[in-house]
Amino acid sequence: MSAPAHAARLVHGGPASRPARRAAALRAAHRRRAGLRRLSPAGAAAVCSGLAAAGLVFSHPGQAAVVLVLTLAYGAASGCLRRLAPFALVAVPVALLVAAVNAVLSPGGLDVLAAVTLGPLRLQVSVQSLWWALASSCRLLSVSLAAALFTVVVGPDEQVGLGARLSPRAGLVFSLAARLLPVLHRDAARIADAQRARGVRLDEGRVWRRAAARLPLLSCLLVQSLERALDVAAAMESRGYGAGARTAWRPLRPRHRADLVAGAAVVALAALLAGGLLLGRFRFTFFPLLDPLLPPLSDRWWLAALAALALPLAATAGTRRRRAASAAAPAAAAR
Amino acid sequence: METLVRLENVTYTYPDGQRPALRDVSLTLGPAEIVLVVGASGSGKSTLLRCLNGLVPRFHGGRFAGRVEVLGRDTREAGPRELARGVGLVFQDPESQAVAGTVEREVAFGLENLALPSATITRLVEEALVSTGLSHLRHAPLAELSGGELQRVALAAVLALQPHVIALDEPTSQLDPVGSEDLLAAVRRLSEDSGATVVLAEHRVERCLHLATRVLVLDDGRLLRDDDPQGFARWAARAQPDWLPPVARLFARRPAAAAPGDGGVLPLTVKEARKALAGDGAPRLRRRAPGPAPSRGAPVLEASALTIGYDPDLPLFEDLDLTVHGGEVVALMGENGVGKSTLLRHCNGLMRPLRGRVLLCGRDLARLTVAEAARDCGYLGQNPGDYFVRERLADELAATLEALAVPRERRAALLAEAVAGLDLAPLLERDPRGLSGGERTRAALATVACHQPALLVLDEPTRGTDPAHKRDLAARLRARAEAGGAVLLVTHDVEFAALAATRVVLLGSDGVLADGAPSAVFDGALFFSTQVNRLLRHRLPGVLREDEVEWETATDAEAGP
Repeated sequence: MSAPAHAARLVHGGPASRPARRAAALRAAHRRRAGLRRLSPAGAAAVCSGLAAAGLVFSHPGQAAVVLVLTLAYGAASGCLRRLAPFALVAVPVALLVAAVNAVLSPGGLDVLAAVTLGPLRLQVSVQSLWWALASSCRLLSVSLAAALFTVVVGPDEQVGLGARLSPRAGLVFSLAARLLPVLHRDAARIADAQRARGVRLDEGRVWRRAAARLPLLSCLLVQSLERALDVAAAMESRGYGAGARTAWRPLRPRHRADLVAGAAVVALAALLAGGLLLGRFRFTFFPLLDPLLPPLSDRWWLAALAALALPLAATAGTRRRRAASAAAPAAAAR
Repeated sequence: METLVRLENVTYTYPDGQRPALRDVSLTLGPAEIVLVVGASGSGKSTLLRCLNGLVPRFHGGRFAGRVEVLGRDTREAGPRELARGVGLVFQDPESQAVAGTVEREVAFGLENLALPSATITRLVEEALVSTGLSHLRHAPLAELSGGELQRVALAAVLALQPHVIALDEPTSQLDPVGSEDLLAAVRRLSEDSGATVVLAEHRVERCLHLATRVLVLDDGRLLRDDDPQGFARWAARAQPDWLPPVARLFARRPAAAAPGDGGVLPLTVKEARKALAGDGAPRLRRRAPGPAPSRGAPVLEASALTIGYDPDLPLFEDLDLTVHGGEVVALMGENGVGKSTLLRHCNGLMRPLRGRVLLCGRDLARLTVAEAARDCGYLGQNPGDYFVRERLADELAATLEALAVPRERRAALLAEAVAGLDLAPLLERDPRGLSGGERTRAALATVACHQPALLVLDEPTRGTDPAHKRDLAARLRARAEAGGAVLLVTHDVEFAALAATRVVLLGSDGVLADGAPSAVFDGALFFSTQVNRLLRHRLPGVLREDEVEWETATDAEAGP
């Protein structure tokens, strides 16, 4: 290929050039956001709050388990189960610990399965304490995964936007803090790569040896983090941050029906949860004897709350299909 | 004339500085000026720019004397926040000035701080994105952008504010030639249309001297000259030829009879040079006898059928073949974001290919760890600071030899050679993390190359490097190749590639677009070509640098062909 030709190609790109494909992929990814990502940040935040609130309110083991499953379903529909995994790696062991502690340290169950006395301490496992442990761990997992879902689904910039409505400073601090870990991780990985590239064996030997080999890298990471923090602070000041009142910019985004449905569903959920708590519809007794397990699962109040909780899931899935179909139609017509 | 900026006897020392970064600097800037600031690394260019928006002294502290007045406000009273609307500053390192997570949010950040209505922000963001060629990346996370793309985002974020004074600290250091031209054109358009004054610190003078209305020369913190471009060129022709564009350097070497006197004119652009060359009675140029052709050794790096990338559905390159031989300095070039740096990371196993195979000195990289590959491949990434974990440079160099288990009896000789080769003797006892940009790059280069690996891989080694150090580095790389070593480097600097490389590989989105000697790849290209080649391609095809030609003297002309 002649030099002018390849230079022209570099300027304009071919029909299948990688930058063009990259731009198309970015646009498509933006349009094809699924599940909670289709909602506005406020809508997604409201649904996540609804999931967390339901996790806190429903003490019945079956109901708590359903909320947990629903939280995971939202994660799957939003295409972010993999990104939830690191949070789950922390939340699941904590939930198991809570379950174990509750199972052996909750006295009062009459159907004792096993008991042991250790000095002044009497440990017993009963049918009631096992159900209590199961419900507690499910609720804990629901609440923590709902919070994780929010941080995964709503990007740092949108979090700033949301926070700015309450407190602009707090919003930005929260966002910068949320970005700190990934940035540190990236810097650490780059420094480790640089050291490997000069022959330092960071990945050989036992754990303590690997840790010792990585120890000197901390000083480099610290120096770079401090330099970066100073640079970011200087950049923020240079661009007027802190000079006075600030606009929370809302980019033009097509607001679709799913947002309205989600908003209405969350309002209904809040009313149902508040009403249910006041009327005692969600009360469930574990000790000394369990309430019957099945009747609460057919309670209309609970079923209505569940429907409100699941409605945004259905709404976002429906929107996605309609969008895909409407996008495909002109393309098919063009062909 | 209205005065936008006035500096009066400014002397400034950073809090931990041993000597002043600026010394007794006085100048005034009016509207619609494009002011180019040149000087060696550490001469005070960045500090001068930081004075313009009050970061010096309001943010950095230190000792400050004199007075800076910007848009009628004293920077000791009005700090960067208050001046943000009037002065936009783009820092040297675009990565460390990012505040938001995505491109459009980053561009909107400053506008939000000015409390503009949301609809106005939307419009200004759009205009800034379009003018910097970023509209297709508006939703892209900043973490996924290349250095050049980040640089454009940083500029867009400042352009969106529509300031009266725009200070740009090496804005094209990571941009490909096309991106640089576009960006500087956008800056000039903004200056012409809005009357904004642009203050531009750049090492690649050939890219922007023709745009400048004025040139400031800094030397060790002092304002050495404040001239129009022609005055600067005449002075530089005598005092600092490295700071001239190549065509101006070429004409500065004209025989005495045809050379410009104090009132003469040196061409600063290819267009001006072409006109001067076509003038009546202009002396002629002839090709110098070429040096010996570089000899090619055995293959050091063999990449075959390589498919690489982060996303298997969107690979950067598919079925790419690349072989680097001993005795070669290969420059990888191409537009920003095409995947040059990613390709380099496959040369020592830092990344594994999606498909294909890489052989380093005949050994399959898939079977080697990165640390094992380091014996044969020294890799210097874009951030030299990543290589320094000790408090003395001498300890860093010794640590590399220790990590690579180089026999003790060889270490002293290798160290001495690396220190002498890169002129590091004065720096050996210093903390490498405190070195200046150019010194840091040399020190990091010694850290990865002191054991003399067969292949040296360098990712943009001239970023932020002044012309003298660039010329020096090119000579060292050539010398290394002549000694049988191989070098593979990524650069956007065509003039540097013409100086250092024995072979150029031009990459595009579909793989290798051109591969050959620099004279073959650059000759006739629109953007990926040197100034001298653009001037002489029809008279002396294949000539890339001004030192490849000489002027015919009167005696030559009389002697005839």
